Amino acid sequence: MAETMTAPTSTSADAAEVDVRIEDDASPLVRLIGRTLRDSARTGHALDTLNRSTGTVAIRSHDTPQAATITFGDNGIDVSSGVLVEPDAAVTVDLNARFAPTADPSGDTDLAGGVLQALTPPLPGWRDAAQRFWDATRSLPGIPDVLIAVTEGPEGLEQAVLGDGPTQYLVAGAPETLAGVFSGADDLVAVLSSGALGIQGTMSQLSVMAGASWKVRYDV
Amino acid sequence: MSELATTATSAPLRDSGARAVRLEATNHDGCFLGKNVSPKKFAAGKDAGFAFADLLFGLDLGNAPVFGSAFPAWRGHLDDVYLRPDMSTLVEWKPGLDSVIGDYWLKDGTPVPICPRNLVRKMVERLAGLGFTATVAVEIEATVFEESIHEARARGYRDLSPLGGSAGTAYHLAKSQDWIDYMNAVADRLDEVGIEWEAWNDEDAAGQIELNIAPGDPIKVGDAWARTRQIMREVAFERGHSVTFMAKPTAGYGQASHINLSLQRDGANAFYAENGPSDTMLHAIGGLLATIEGNTSIVLPQITSYRRLVDLSGPPVTISWGISNKTAAVRAVCGHPKYSRLEYRLPGADANLYLALAGVLAGVIAGVERKIAPPEQVTDMAWCLPPGLGIDRIPDTITKAAAALDADPILRELLGDEFVDFWIASRKWEWMQFHTAGGDPFSELSEWESARYFELP
Repeated sequence: MAETMTAPTSTSADAAEVDVRIEDDASPLVRLIGRTLRDSARTGHALDTLNRSTGTVAIRSHDTPQAATITFGDNGIDVSSGVLVEPDAAVTVDLNARFAPTADPSGDTDLAGGVLQALTPPLPGWRDAAQRFWDATRSLPGIPDVLIAVTEGPEGLEQAVLGDGPTQYLVAGAPETLAGVFSGADDLVAVLSSGALGIQGTMSQLSVMAGASWKVRYDV
Repeated sequence: MSELATTATSAPLRDSGARAVRLEATNHDGCFLGKNVSPKKFAAGKDAGFAFADLLFGLDLGNAPVFGSAFPAWRGHLDDVYLRPDMSTLVEWKPGLDSVIGDYWLKDGTPVPICPRNLVRKMVERLAGLGFTATVAVEIEATVFEESIHEARARGYRDLSPLGGSAGTAYHLAKSQDWIDYMNAVADRLDEVGIEWEAWNDEDAAGQIELNIAPGDPIKVGDAWARTRQIMREVAFERGHSVTFMAKPTAGYGQASHINLSLQRDGANAFYAENGPSDTMLHAIGGLLATIEGNTSIVLPQITSYRRLVDLSGPPVTISWGISNKTAAVRAVCGHPKYSRLEYRLPGADANLYLALAGVLAGVIAGVERKIAPPEQVTDMAWCLPPGLGIDRIPDTITKAAAALDADPILRELLGDEFVDFWIASRKWEWMQFHTAGGDPFSELSEWESARYFELP
């Protein structure tokens, strides 16, 4: 049975109700696409595309065999693994760069462009992203009691302190970097490996935080 | 005093003149890990144990740290665990090199809760508390290729030539001599090291062999399994060949590690009854089937493991048992006071046998303790069954199996939450790596799988 979620889940004034369904036992890419489309619906982004009733788009990774198909229908959007039908459009993207296209789309370029837009909802502010991240992951076993997000703003260092208790975890980076990780647009370990993020905590806590990153990015 | 100290053996060292002793044990993935120590170092550390970084339980088969969940409480920042040798396993591996198998222990003298060999011991002791001992046997399946491991690496482990040719399947004696020479050399080495084997033969796929280790107590059979695989690799290397224990090294047939098991009480086979299965055997079957979905995660550990689960191709695909029915997941062999046994047909050749034995014994223990009645046996072919018969299929992906293990209260109780949580996290990591680092679920066997699983575990 497919998992389904009806956006919105927050109070965005422009939010739209769009059924985004992913297949049973879905791959990380299918989960990533499904979660991203739901975020777009929740924030009222790319609604023209999200409300389409026809169209099939293939999404392919530029550097791995990962592939998925987005199918628009009268009753919402289905995301499935692989490309098993001839799509109306196809895009090749960098999955570690927020679906940035790495080649010109093929097929229906308007449809492809709309889907690429739908896959890049605007990033929330880093504080909002941190709060949503914390709300989604605070119950994970082993998660630190306190998450401290630190960045440098116009007035100097700014921080958000979420939670309460003796164990804490600190994540520091540029506002856009924090927003990307906390919203699930970026993968924590990948960003960490790039050197764009600083962390303070135990290795076990990093492991838990990596799982938390998967939760907001892939909904697993 | 710690358990580590109280149970440590003080058996004397063999006076073999060896210039090194190889310490051996498997990690969770079934990799044969260890280090070579000098005789002096070995003598000094054999009772207290030898330090190993805890990352041996923290790296995946690609040497990446496994993240995604909280570490067990005993894991620190690459802190040490201790391999304490089991001196009863000390043998001369070859001139100048002794080898000994051990278990992993913590500083406080308690077993590492996820140590595969310790988990088997835990199950054996629990079974003893019920008045039973277990006798197990394992069928080792492997595929041997003409090419050396260096050539195999250069080719990405693909498009290799099966040793012995591609003609024929199963039991053929008309194999080319190179295949026979390889297996004779393996048997010679087993004899030298003192591993009792019963049979070897041509198996279903080209280049594939089946080697049967003699029945014995679970820990000794686990030790023999680990060493036999090492010997098969070493002999292949010496002869310029390569061997793999992948669940499916090519797009053709898969490879299994069937486990045969019986219980003894007061020296008699508790599975024997004159007319069919004994009550003990029926309860064991009940327990095995009650836990088979969760145990699937343990006995089918890798991505490729699940590519074996194809109807009509050999492995079981349904949660089923039957007397003399090799299409079922559990085959009951009945009617003989010596040979009455169960064959658990699900494990892949890529399973860590210690963990597989622990999981299987846990199922048996649960069945016997709780007197779990098995479902009706399947007397038809257990492949290609239509829905609606009340016979479920075995979880067919690594994620479904991990979810089943997560939800299995029996395996959680017997194997421990710490092991179950650790294992599930490691399988989730494996799934994520496969999808995001180059694996292809739509190919019959992706290059990523060949690169990751051909040589290890």
